[in-house]
Amino acid sequence: MSASAKSMVTARELKIGYGERVVLERVNFDVHRGEVFAILGSSGSGKSTLLKHLIGLYPPMSGDVLISGESLVQAEGDQRLRLLQRFGVLYQGAALFGSLSTVENVRLPLDEFTDLPPMAKDLIALSKLRLVGLEAAATKLPADLSGGMQKRAGIARAIVMDPCVLFLDEPSAGLDPITSAGLDALIRELAQGLGITFVMVTHELASIFSVADRVVVLDPRARGIVAEGTPADLRDHSPLPWVRQFLNRGTQ
Amino acid sequence: MPATPNNVSAQWELSDGPQGAVVVRLSGELDTVSTPQAWREMEAALKGRRVTALKIDARGLDSCDSAGLALLYHLSNGGLTSGVGGEVEGLHPQLQHLFRSFSMEDFRALEEHEPACSNVVEDIGVATEAWLIDLRQQVEFIGEVAFDIAASLLRPKRMRWREVLRLFEIAGVNALPIVSLLTFLVGMVIAFESAQPLAQLGAQVFVANLLGLVMCRELGPVMAAIMLAGRSGSAFAAELGTMKVNEELNALQTMGLSPVQFLVVQRVVAGILLTPVLTVYAMYAGLIGGIPVLLGLGFPLRMVLRQVQSGLHFGDLAEGLCKSIVFGAIVASVSCLRGLQTGEGPRAVGESTTRSVVSSILLIILADAVFAALTYTLRK
Repeated sequence: MSASAKSMVTARELKIGYGERVVLERVNFDVHRGEVFAILGSSGSGKSTLLKHLIGLYPPMSGDVLISGESLVQAEGDQRLRLLQRFGVLYQGAALFGSLSTVENVRLPLDEFTDLPPMAKDLIALSKLRLVGLEAAATKLPADLSGGMQKRAGIARAIVMDPCVLFLDEPSAGLDPITSAGLDALIRELAQGLGITFVMVTHELASIFSVADRVVVLDPRARGIVAEGTPADLRDHSPLPWVRQFLNRGTQ
Repeated sequence: MPATPNNVSAQWELSDGPQGAVVVRLSGELDTVSTPQAWREMEAALKGRRVTALKIDARGLDSCDSAGLALLYHLSNGGLTSGVGGEVEGLHPQLQHLFRSFSMEDFRALEEHEPACSNVVEDIGVATEAWLIDLRQQVEFIGEVAFDIAASLLRPKRMRWREVLRLFEIAGVNALPIVSLLTFLVGMVIAFESAQPLAQLGAQVFVANLLGLVMCRELGPVMAAIMLAGRSGSAFAAELGTMKVNEELNALQTMGLSPVQFLVVQRVVAGILLTPVLTVYAMYAGLIGGIPVLLGLGFPLRMVLRQVQSGLHFGDLAEGLCKSIVFGAIVASVSCLRGLQTGEGPRAVGESTTRSVVSSILLIILADAVFAALTYTLRK
């Protein structure tokens, strides 16, 4: 199997920005199957912008994004829809629909894209809620869930169509350390148990050291990736002093 | 018993064992695309069949996703064989984790969770309580707004006049085109509709008097106020509601600023100042709308103008303007109140916007009725 065939998400010479302003350029990386890949950087380094381009919300200025070998940038119509169903996204604020109960939120993609009998949809939605430990909150409205529970419900909705890749935007933002550690454990469990590939954007160093197999570090001054490797490796051996310093704070 | 056509990638077959035992053998790809059909066909094939024992053989499955697992789970629970369940054999080890997350208990809990059916008496009680609380809040709010306006007028420097001017522009000046168009058309309609019955009495010339009175005393202020409620009151409610959802109102409060003082007073003052202006404008537009109709009926312009003038007194204009001031205060304050009462989430903003328009229009008509009764008694 060649390297690109194993790669679930590939950024190839990606150049992104808003309007005329270039935020990141020459972005290249491969995320392998079953890996937890983290995109790390200080505030304003373009992490969230990069994620929005990876999931196809915005078209890049140039370059390409491949999801399991197929270009998301060039895909159109049914092909694009098929590619979109290969990954799930957890947004920073979980983005649950406030008017639907938790189980209805999770069931929504099944209702829209499958022809399954209602009972099957309920069974599947409930099984995803059980996977994230929310089976008891199925009938609650998102407003009645805590921040951590909303994130879990967001993950349940993101995995309901059995995607191969899950993108997480700041999964631990706004959560206390214990809830955040619980979420990290869930990510590990889903990565190992279901073989889902994770791409997460974060600046939470504790969660990077506990879940990430590999990280890339973005630098706003260099407008691109300045370091790539395992978290521990970068912390101890990165040639860039600020990267070592940045990662060292996480283990103190 | 082969059952599945070739174009679907999942295949299954039933084989009968001794004494009513059934073996279900599945193969191929059981995914969200192929499962619905397999589910329905299996349901049909097993319906009414006496099954004493069930075995599910999943060894032949090349791939299986959550939809397929749901079917396997349903089968293994006896969902298709009237309660006779059986083990799933040969499921790929990687799928075991996912398979274990299915739970009939959760499903039953969901089924049982029906929206609690409340009793009528309780509903009436709850609604009445909510209504009384709302009434109390409105009274309190009126008091607070009146107090803050008085305080601002005593110390005009504390008032944010720039904001008042901005509101004057967006809620007043920008509303002129639509207000003039609507009242122009309404004036026209009234002239047309009243010309015929008055002609039967030989009093067609009095259409001009009628139009002047109706526009000044009734429709000018009411139309202007309804336009204000629909166009600007809803915007006030949505703006304040979004600020509440974004915790901006909390930020004001912790800074020691009252949202009423900081946001509502300006809007109410702007509403009170701009509604009479809009009303005068609406009155004119309505009259101008009636004139072409009267000219068409053959009356000369001078005569029409004289009729309007002779039919109108200062009291009529004063009544219209007094009303408009009250209407302006009602629309601005009620819309702000609804905005401040917004709950949580995007849906709440929509609800408070609707509530602001409904309450504003209701209160406008109520106040109008009070005015009508009052002026009738005064004129007697």
